Amino acid sequence: MIKRMLAVDGVNVICEFRDDGSFVEGYGMLPEEHMMGLAKFAHDYKRIVQGNADQLSMFTQMNGWTPPGGWIVRGERMSVCSIGNLVCLVDNEEGSLTEVMAELKDVSSM
Amino acid sequence: MDIISELASMPGVIAAGEYSYRGDRFTYQGQLDPEQARMASIMCRATTMSVHMQSEILESFCEDCGLTPSRGWMVSGPGMTVCVYTNVFAFLDNRQASKNAVMAFMQAKLADKTDDLV
Amino acid sequence: MPDLDKLMSLPGALASFEFNDRGELKESRIAEGSNLNDTVLDLVCHMCIANISIATMQARGWESMTGAQGFYPINGFTLMGLEWSAVATGSHGVIMKNGEADYEAAYAALAE
Repeated sequence: MIKRMLAVDGVNVICEFRDDGSFVEGYGMLPEEHMMGLAKFAHDYKRIVQGNADQLSMFTQMNGWTPPGGWIVRGERMSVCSIGNLVCLVDNEEGSLTEVMAELKDVSSM
Repeated sequence: MDIISELASMPGVIAAGEYSYRGDRFTYQGQLDPEQARMASIMCRATTMSVHMQSEILESFCEDCGLTPSRGWMVSGPGMTVCVYTNVFAFLDNRQASKNAVMAFMQAKLADKTDDLV
Repeated sequence: MPDLDKLMSLPGALASFEFNDRGELKESRIAEGSNLNDTVLDLVCHMCIANISIATMQARGWESMTGAQGFYPINGFTLMGLEWSAVATGSHGVIMKNGEADYEAAYAALAE
């Protein structure tokens, strides 16, 4: 099911991980060992974003930061996008982050 | 006396506590109110998670590197310092506390604690 | 400004380094026989600057919520690894063996 993310423009890799960080499956142009690393990074980064969102809520006393819906780390040529337990690598020149995030949200809720 | 009590009674330590990595529990002693201790636990836990991930990335570039796995961290402001080792934290008044003494105590007492974030 | 050679004279010093405000390594000293290198030090610099930024956010939030003072501005971050510690300010740092590390002396030397 997550494989359909590869049909979205710019998406090179899609991976799914469990709540404990272990790798479930992945598709795209990356050796499996690197996909497992990506899944591990996404799991750890998700926890960090959750921690930072908790602090934003605490310090601003505003609702809406938590629970975090997802995250994007945008590099010069590539971006890493994640929602739920899915993470994908996106080529910035070929894809639209808006489209990728919308599709990720859709697929992660299935 | 347990570790938190001992830490909290060291010179210049204004509070000490322990938080669960899951983020659902904390205990503390010292000059913080319960809400402040909850906030301190949230902050320390968040930084520990970050440092843990960063150290794992570092490890892939530095085998047999003494900086990994991460065991603790410390941040200092002009008047105060926060020391964290495993899941135990201490707030220090820089004028009265010795960072060396606090870190040596934490390293010795918490040496056997696992660094699994559970 | 801290002197990298002087930082190497701290007890148990394995490396000293300078980095820019993006966390990129500018200059380093590495003790003979150490398995550290500039690639590792560059990552350590990025780690230090990232955690100083996060701690700065926390200090700002904490001081405005509690009215407490003394945390902001953050002037140092220390990572304690299993055997070594890295102590850094916003531009310089030193890595020391835990058994010999003098954190007070390191912060004092980094504040020069």
